[in-house]
Amino acid sequence: MNIVFLTLSAIMVLGAVLAVTLRNLVHCLLALVVFFLGIAGHFFLLKADFLGAAQILIYIGAVAVLILFAIMLTRNISGTEGGRSSLGGAWWLGVGLASSLAGMMCVFVRRSELVTKLPYGATEEGVVKEIGKLLVTDWVVPLEIMAVLLTAALIGAVVIALEEEKKR
Amino acid sequence: MSVPLGYYLMLGGVLFCIGLCGALTRKNAIAVLMSIEIMFNAAILNFVVFWYYLHNGALTGQMFALFAIAVAAAESAVGLALVISVYRHYRSVDVDEMKALKG
Repeated sequence: MNIVFLTLSAIMVLGAVLAVTLRNLVHCLLALVVFFLGIAGHFFLLKADFLGAAQILIYIGAVAVLILFAIMLTRNISGTEGGRSSLGGAWWLGVGLASSLAGMMCVFVRRSELVTKLPYGATEEGVVKEIGKLLVTDWVVPLEIMAVLLTAALIGAVVIALEEEKKR
Repeated sequence: MSVPLGYYLMLGGVLFCIGLCGALTRKNAIAVLMSIEIMFNAAILNFVVFWYYLHNGALTGQMFALFAIAVAAAESAVGLALVISVYRHYRSVDVDEMKALKG
């Protein structure tokens, strides 16, 4: 198997595990950034360079900073409220549920005929131009709907975050 | 590069389950949102993987992943605004303490 795939996946899984287990939320966020970078690396590996760049810009540039702001605004840097649930039984229930689901997924993937499938033919490098053309021709309606959705989300986020102050 | 499709699918499944585990066990609402982001990213990785292995020269899979990323960004913005609103109301972001609707 490909060594790059293995290394990238190992770093990514480690980042994800740290992001859901560390007690300090800022450390969680840093692990999450490592995970996002791993995903972007996988996109580059899969010849989806535009998506890799978009992943870095949107997730590391915007979402991670947004989460950091939320952590700062809710004063949880010490992480005393973060971390595991105090209920030991419930904690193990969640871990057991997730790991059994992961095991089942792996078993089903192993059993399907897709498991040995190799990439489709030669994928041309650099599809950014093609994506740009498609976005303003075939995909222009979804693009406009997405623009409306993002505007609605922007206004909604501001309204939700301001609501309490108006009342008092 | 010759990694069979199955390994990528397993990777996506494992990452999704790590996110699920975090969403089920964390108490802090922001940590739950971060776990949901992990689940979203695992799903988006699966879109791109299926595009790479099964496409017929079309870019539909990549476009789908792109729109999924945009929806996830909108979701996280609204989600974090909700967390901040909840924090203003309860002075805490502990999901166990948000029980105003508890029957």
